[in-house]
Amino acid sequence: MKTLGRITLCLLWLVAAGAGAWILLNYENTPSNEGETPLDWPVGSHITRQPGRATLVMFAHPHCPCSSASVEELNRLLTRREGPATVHILFIHPHDVPDSWTETTLRKSAEAIPGADVQLDPQGEEARRFGAESSGYVVLYSPEGRLLFSGGITAARGHAGDNAGENVVVALLNGQKTSLKHTPVFGCSLQESCTNSTP
Amino acid sequence: MKIATDTITAETSGKSGPLGARALELFAEMQDAVSRHTDTIFARLMVCQWVAAVAAAIWISPRTWAGSHSHIHVHVFAAVFLGGLITALPVFMAMKYPGRVLTRHTVAVGQMLMSALLIHLTGGRIETHFHVFGSLAILAFYRDWRVLISASTVVYIDHLVRGFFWPQSVYGVMTAPIWRSLEHAGWVVFEVTFLLISIRKSLRETLNVAVRQAELENINETIERNVSERTAELTREVSERSQVEEGLKKSEAQLAKAQRIARLGSWEWDVVQNKVTWSDETRRLYGFSEKDHGAEMNRCLERVHPEDRAQVQLALTEALRSGGPYICDHRALLPDGTIRTMHGLGEVVMDERGQPVKIIGTTQDITEADRAEAALRRSEEQLRQSQKMEAVGRLAGGVAHDFNNLLTVISGYSSMSLRQMEKAHPLRKHTEEIQAAAQRAASLTGQLLAFSRKQVLQPRVIDLNDSVSGMEKMLRRLIGEDVELCTLFNPELGNVKADPGQFEQVILNLAVNARDAMPRGGKLTIQTANVALDQKTRFRNRDLDVGEYVMVAITDTGVGMTEEVKSHLFEPFFTTKGVGRGTGLGLATCYGIICQSDGDIRVYSELNCGTTFKVYLPRVDAPTTAADTSIDPDALPEGSESILIVEDEAAVRRLAASVLRGAGYRVQEARDAIEAFTLIESKQPFDLVITDVIMPKMSGKELYDQIKVIAPRINVLFMSGYTDDALAHHGVLGPELSFLEKPFSPAGLARKVREVIDRPKARSRLMSKVASNGNGVLPASKH
Repeated sequence: MKTLGRITLCLLWLVAAGAGAWILLNYENTPSNEGETPLDWPVGSHITRQPGRATLVMFAHPHCPCSSASVEELNRLLTRREGPATVHILFIHPHDVPDSWTETTLRKSAEAIPGADVQLDPQGEEARRFGAESSGYVVLYSPEGRLLFSGGITAARGHAGDNAGENVVVALLNGQKTSLKHTPVFGCSLQESCTNSTP
Repeated sequence: MKIATDTITAETSGKSGPLGARALELFAEMQDAVSRHTDTIFARLMVCQWVAAVAAAIWISPRTWAGSHSHIHVHVFAAVFLGGLITALPVFMAMKYPGRVLTRHTVAVGQMLMSALLIHLTGGRIETHFHVFGSLAILAFYRDWRVLISASTVVYIDHLVRGFFWPQSVYGVMTAPIWRSLEHAGWVVFEVTFLLISIRKSLRETLNVAVRQAELENINETIERNVSERTAELTREVSERSQVEEGLKKSEAQLAKAQRIARLGSWEWDVVQNKVTWSDETRRLYGFSEKDHGAEMNRCLERVHPEDRAQVQLALTEALRSGGPYICDHRALLPDGTIRTMHGLGEVVMDERGQPVKIIGTTQDITEADRAEAALRRSEEQLRQSQKMEAVGRLAGGVAHDFNNLLTVISGYSSMSLRQMEKAHPLRKHTEEIQAAAQRAASLTGQLLAFSRKQVLQPRVIDLNDSVSGMEKMLRRLIGEDVELCTLFNPELGNVKADPGQFEQVILNLAVNARDAMPRGGKLTIQTANVALDQKTRFRNRDLDVGEYVMVAITDTGVGMTEEVKSHLFEPFFTTKGVGRGTGLGLATCYGIICQSDGDIRVYSELNCGTTFKVYLPRVDAPTTAADTSIDPDALPEGSESILIVEDEAAVRRLAASVLRGAGYRVQEARDAIEAFTLIESKQPFDLVITDVIMPKMSGKELYDQIKVIAPRINVLFMSGYTDDALAHHGVLGPELSFLEKPFSPAGLARKVREVIDRPKARSRLMSKVASNGNGVLPASKH
């Protein structure tokens, strides 16, 4: 093969690889679907709140690989917070699957977070109340039941590490004021109807 | 590759020419090998990474979910296809074009892309980011800073693009300034910087290795060239040495051959170690064995004849003491008993202190030369003897001619006077003394002629038994009563041809000698025998040829004689009998007579034991010739024939004429041959011509030859006291010639004349008798 041919081949390869990478990056950084989160604590929610404490709820799919990063980031931000907060992690539990379906590594990781209350969300009712359509969706309400933040706490799909959502939640829990109230979420769809959240 | 080039330039600046070029070449080869090796590493690594990426995708995010439904996660597809795409070209290039620049850049880009993919597949874990730094470190294996730049560029572009489009995925914030991309790139640059330093150092070391290897190669090449040159030199030297050795061997062979031819050997005596070494010829000369080589001197001296050993030792000791040459002729006694004469020469070698350390010498077998020298001495002695004999012979001949004429006259006239004197005549005794003295003088003259072999022999075939037995009576009377005479005759004894009178003279002389050797009596034995010599023998420089001989041995039991006496025994005038007792001519006469008869006389003697003389005469097959013994020695046969006497000596001529006229012959005289020839030519009827042999103008023999031409019927009788071979060959007269030796007696002359005149008549009568017998056989003579 002549040098020019080899160079051409290499360039084509570079373009193809670049394109593939671009597609992958684009997928990684494309947010999942989001619902409309109520600004005040929903009335019908069964999630318990404690007086004088902010309440943080994360909605997750037990099998979502991307949510591992979200649980990890949640764990990390909880260690960084200074103010009191009640933390709930709700794993969706569709009606057509057994209970064991929810017993995943992700759930165990969540249960391992100190102070976090892990619950199942049968049929995703609570998720629907809070407008959570994708796994890893986090909502933070003040002790008074006012929405402080909603969105994801990962920089990209399944991407752990420093990110805006995490930093905002930590700041809010620490009593700081932030202008950012919402970040995109990256995760699997919690509901089968939520077709847009499919990666 | 500027860093590398700069490095090489800097490192090789001290090296110039081929060495620097070779160092660069080696450096390039090493770099190429490193690149190829690293390509291989990455080819394997990237395949592994791909597999790992797929595994990680399947492990971490196998599926994506929507409620209770799921499907394969995009990451799995990305790991398989995008990972495969990223891996494919670098692996292909690494395997197909290892070592190429494009290959390693492709690898660098692919590796960085794979890092990005893995980071994505692992959820952006910070740990996975180490893959980037690890990859850069591994890419540094290429030792090519441009590869790191390529990789770094990919990393930077990745961050730049993502930071621009998706800043939160990179910086964790929703918006970020562009410079933040430099923050991430800075860490990469940080590592790359040290990697570049490491690469530079590695390149320097590689270059140093290349330079050292180039130097090593240069040294090796130099060594190989030197080895090659030295090998060629050694080959040439070996060849030359071989030629020299061959020449040396040839020279040694020639030397050995020369030594063999010259019978000259070399030897060396190491005085310090007392070891004697020698050449092959020396070993042969002395009959040493191989194991004797290096023996001590005393052992070697065992080969020297015991009688000469002390002389050799003395010569060696003296040479060592004085440092002078060693020269010593000696005899060697060989193991087989052979004795050889050796001529030894040597030089003493001194050390730096002047002490003798060795003697280097030669030994030459001079036995033959010694013999030749002895033979030469004998020849010289013989020559001297011959010259002496010749001188004596000349003297004797010169004297004999005139002396015999005088004695003829004296003896003749005294004889004639005695015939005419009465026995009581007062002068008779005086006349007899005169005649006896003349006879002794004639005998003396005869002996002088005999030993000088100048006498005229008249040989005939005789039986020595008869001759000796005929002398017995006379011999017994001669040797006296104290000496016993014993004869041992071989009855089968062969005949010899000799002058019987001369032979008797020999026996007589030997018997007298034997008698004189036995003053107190003893035994004289005369023995005859046939002797066959089957090889040539030599005695006193005289050879006897192979053949049959008759030997007469005269042995006495007397005092014997010393070697000194033996060596002069046959010399004329040599005598041990004292003044007045011997003339010294007896044995010389014997020797002369026997030698003149082609025989030899040999003597064997032991002091105080006795002496044996052995006379050898050639044996002949012819029968003996009888001597006429019927003639009265004092009678004067008469005749009437006409006789011409040719004699230059007037007294002799007149005496002869007087005697013959007295006997009735008609005699004419001639003073010389010319006159005689004139008379013969005048047709005077002579029956006999009596002529002297030695005469002026014409000799008797020439006259004889002329007579045989013009008057062959005339008989000729020669008379002479000395012929000087004018008549006889080596003194031996031919059978057809008649000879009368001076001095002769009147009766002798008359008998000889009668005999010569009658000989043709007797022959004629014999022939007539044979013819009348008709059988043609001559009557047998006495054997």
